[in-house]
Amino acid sequence: MQPPPARVVFEARGLRKVYHTGELDVVALHGVDLDFSSGELVVLLGASGSGKSTLLNILGGLDVPTAGQLRYKGWDLTDGTERTLTLFRRNCVGFVFQFYNLIPSLTARENVALITEIAPNPMRPEEALEIVGLGHRMDHFPSQLSGGEQQRVAIARAIAKRPEVLLCDEPTGALDISTGITVLEAVERINRELGTLTVIITHNAAMAEMADRVLHLKDGQIVKTRHNEVRLPANELQW
Amino acid sequence: MLPPLDRKLIRDLSRMKGQVVAVSLVMACGLAMMIMTRSLILTLEGTRDAYYQQHRMADVFGSLKRAPLSVAEQIARLPGIAAVEPRVVMDATLDLEGVDEPSTAHLVSIPDDRPVTLNKLFIRSGRMPASDARNEAIVSEAFALANGLKAGDSVTAIINGRRDRLFITGIGLSPEFVFEARAGETLPDNKRFGVFWMNYRAIAVAYGLDGAFNDFCVDIAPGTNAEPILQEIDRLLEVYGGFGAHTRRDHASAARLDDELRVLYALSVAYPVVFLSVAAFMVNALLSRIIRLQREQIAQMKALGYSSWDVGWHYLKFAFVIVFLGTVMGAFAGRFMGDGLVHMYTLFFKFPTLNFTMDWSATGLALGVSAFACASGVASVVWQAVKLPPAEAMRPEPPVDFKPSLMERMGLTRGFSPAFRMALRNIERKPVQAAFTVAGLALATGLMVLPGSMADSIDHILTYQWNDVQRQDVVAFLREPGSAGAINDLENLPGVIRAEPLRAVNARIRYGHVSRKLAITGMPKNADLNRLLDASGKLVALPEEGIVMSDKLAEILGAKMGDLVSVEVIEGRRTKRLVPIRGLIEDFSGVAAYMDIDALRRLMLEGETISGGYLTVDKTMWSTFMREIKDTPRIAIVLVKKDQLAAFRNTTGESIGIIQKLYLTLAVIVAFGVVYNSARIALSERSRDLATLRVVGFTQREVGSVLLGELSLLVLIALPIGLLFGRQLAAFIINAISTETIRMPLVISSFTMANSIMVVLLAALASFIVVGRMLKKLDLVGVLKARD
Repeated sequence: MQPPPARVVFEARGLRKVYHTGELDVVALHGVDLDFSSGELVVLLGASGSGKSTLLNILGGLDVPTAGQLRYKGWDLTDGTERTLTLFRRNCVGFVFQFYNLIPSLTARENVALITEIAPNPMRPEEALEIVGLGHRMDHFPSQLSGGEQQRVAIARAIAKRPEVLLCDEPTGALDISTGITVLEAVERINRELGTLTVIITHNAAMAEMADRVLHLKDGQIVKTRHNEVRLPANELQW
Repeated sequence: MLPPLDRKLIRDLSRMKGQVVAVSLVMACGLAMMIMTRSLILTLEGTRDAYYQQHRMADVFGSLKRAPLSVAEQIARLPGIAAVEPRVVMDATLDLEGVDEPSTAHLVSIPDDRPVTLNKLFIRSGRMPASDARNEAIVSEAFALANGLKAGDSVTAIINGRRDRLFITGIGLSPEFVFEARAGETLPDNKRFGVFWMNYRAIAVAYGLDGAFNDFCVDIAPGTNAEPILQEIDRLLEVYGGFGAHTRRDHASAARLDDELRVLYALSVAYPVVFLSVAAFMVNALLSRIIRLQREQIAQMKALGYSSWDVGWHYLKFAFVIVFLGTVMGAFAGRFMGDGLVHMYTLFFKFPTLNFTMDWSATGLALGVSAFACASGVASVVWQAVKLPPAEAMRPEPPVDFKPSLMERMGLTRGFSPAFRMALRNIERKPVQAAFTVAGLALATGLMVLPGSMADSIDHILTYQWNDVQRQDVVAFLREPGSAGAINDLENLPGVIRAEPLRAVNARIRYGHVSRKLAITGMPKNADLNRLLDASGKLVALPEEGIVMSDKLAEILGAKMGDLVSVEVIEGRRTKRLVPIRGLIEDFSGVAAYMDIDALRRLMLEGETISGGYLTVDKTMWSTFMREIKDTPRIAIVLVKKDQLAAFRNTTGESIGIIQKLYLTLAVIVAFGVVYNSARIALSERSRDLATLRVVGFTQREVGSVLLGELSLLVLIALPIGLLFGRQLAAFIINAISTETIRMPLVISSFTMANSIMVVLLAALASFIVVGRMLKKLDLVGVLKARD
């Protein structure tokens, strides 16, 4: 399958985020400019507190910037209301977290069906689970699945709505290497086959090799950008 | 300085103050009811005992046709007797200005030449009649208040057919008339029945009883068995037309007060048990949640060297703080409610003073009982926390296991949404928690059904008993039994449409060793005004021979249809005969027995006599009719149905109104508390699920419906159970208050059910809204990034 021609999905200009915690103001983002295009696989690298999660949350509509501007395909998200942000998340974004956050009382298939029931143009839950290689475990409950399998269900759930964007926050953080690689393979496959803009945040530098672009964050700013001429397949990553 | 664990306790509790308050409130409801009922018992019993003692309430009462005063001295000489007060007691008709209907003055004599020894009067105002005064009277306070009479006023009375002016010298009360009503009447009608105490000679002369008595009361020496004394007195008075002596237990006023206390005793146990079970479970659910959340903290404490006992005690304190709060609130509420309810009792019971006395020991008991209930409710949870080895506690809890719910395994849920499946599986995974939530809500529903059903019962009695059964407007009793022709005189009174004769005969009905004294009413077979209906509403025909009686009377006697009971007439020729029970009727106040009027006359060995008649009266002629009745000396008592109805509505209606408000409050607190607590626990247990749903794009509303869907399902399950429970509760209460004097049928209208459901739904909705607000504040990212 040929990915569609690249077009700009996210446009951020001067993004700034300040958290007020107690009596302190913590500046999490210090004026970030970036453009992400469809089909891209971007890895955000940075130490704890570098601002990468804040950036991801703002991109995903879980939070709004204190200042600056963010556009999604020309749609201004900067001052998104609760309702627009919910709609944005519902229709355009898939999330994958470090802790899989599956609903324990629902089977793999039903966890995916949660999304396919509310999204406008979803794939079938079975199809999403096939993509992540779990076609044979669809009727298992989370407690019956391994960590890697649970994370793949989470990925299936994220992509079942055919999102424009897939945001992964430390998707392999809780997994061992080989399981982590299986999960990354699933992410890579989705990015490749569906042309979904995929943003992964991690502090594992090895994962940078599988990206089109690597952004290094420090103290709330992008301090370095790297383009990979060739993406390393996930199964060749080592750490 | 508080130890650090206690500071942790305070801060933990203040973080979940909403739930702490909700649980304490439910507990407080039960404890308030307990403290209130026990305080009312203390108040009523204390007041009664002091009143009886200070005013020398007699131990034995009795009446007779007539005996010379020397017979009273004979009674006094019987062994075991401390004092005898012979007296003349008669009913006179009053002609009160501005009142159409005749009222009854229950005349009770007081000695002219010495102070009253038994049933001494409490004089509220004014003075006793002068020793030689012929037309002075002390009037009972309830009657005086109802009719606006005070010392110095005068009223017109028809005493033994003669119109006389009575001057009121004072207003008084007597321990004998704490419950002041006509013999056999269930509720007081203070406007139309009052006690008048007058000098002995004044009454005795008027009724031709000078030097004689027709009523007496007796004080027996402490520690003496009353039964042989009763037999002796009955034997002594047999030739004087004695109607049988009885002890205080069977005294109308005293028995009524005892009945009320019995009800309070039953309630003082039943309510705390029900409420505390629910509250204990709520504490259990709350504490399990805290302990699950604080798993790592428990490990830390143990790692630092706190003993299992320290840790266990720390968590038990959570429960005890709630118990303490509940008890304090319960004590205040109980006091407040009791203080209010005492007012209700003054409608029925007249004491010189009735001041609410708080039963402080009940508060201590409440504390003990609720601490025990809660401690047993949380013991298992605390034990689990305590026995966890620190190393294991440091690790997160293993993931929860789920499986398809029973309904799914049965294939009933195809096509159900994932959210609904979540609800089903959650309920099935924690069946006990779900069951208690249902129990709490069912309790709330039942609490609403109870007062509703009482109002329904009363409505039923008012419409059914007083319209379908008693079709007469008036029952008129003649002073002395008259010939059969007297019914024509009654029929010829102005305005009378129809008159049916009745013959009332005092008798003792005995079966085995149980007996009851009552008036057997004789009616013609084709009687149509006072109809006898059985429990299914079918007309019971009067048999040629045999007796028809109240279900309740048969129950008291232990007899059933067809059994032969002994009927001993205690007037006239005092005949005695075995008579078969030929029918049972359902009635709601007092106990009654009926015979065919001719059969009764044969039993009496007399000709065609009547005691009075059931009358229907043309409404347009009402005042003319009443004026005529007042001026007819032959007529002694007139029972006007609409007055009885109004009295019933005033007293019972008002008390039911108070009770309804009380139960509404309790039901709302319980429904809100239970739903709120469950919703909060669900919110806390499932915050991760809910945050996930929000992140993947569920709206507030959709997530709310997932959280509350499960609770709504439980609410729906609880409602029918609650209605059934309410029915049982009403049946229990109605059974508890079902006495010889008053009974209520179990009736629950659809309005009551709908109303109960509405209140519980609204209370649930209110707590949904509160929890829904909290859902809005859920920190999506924070929750998702935290390890479970």
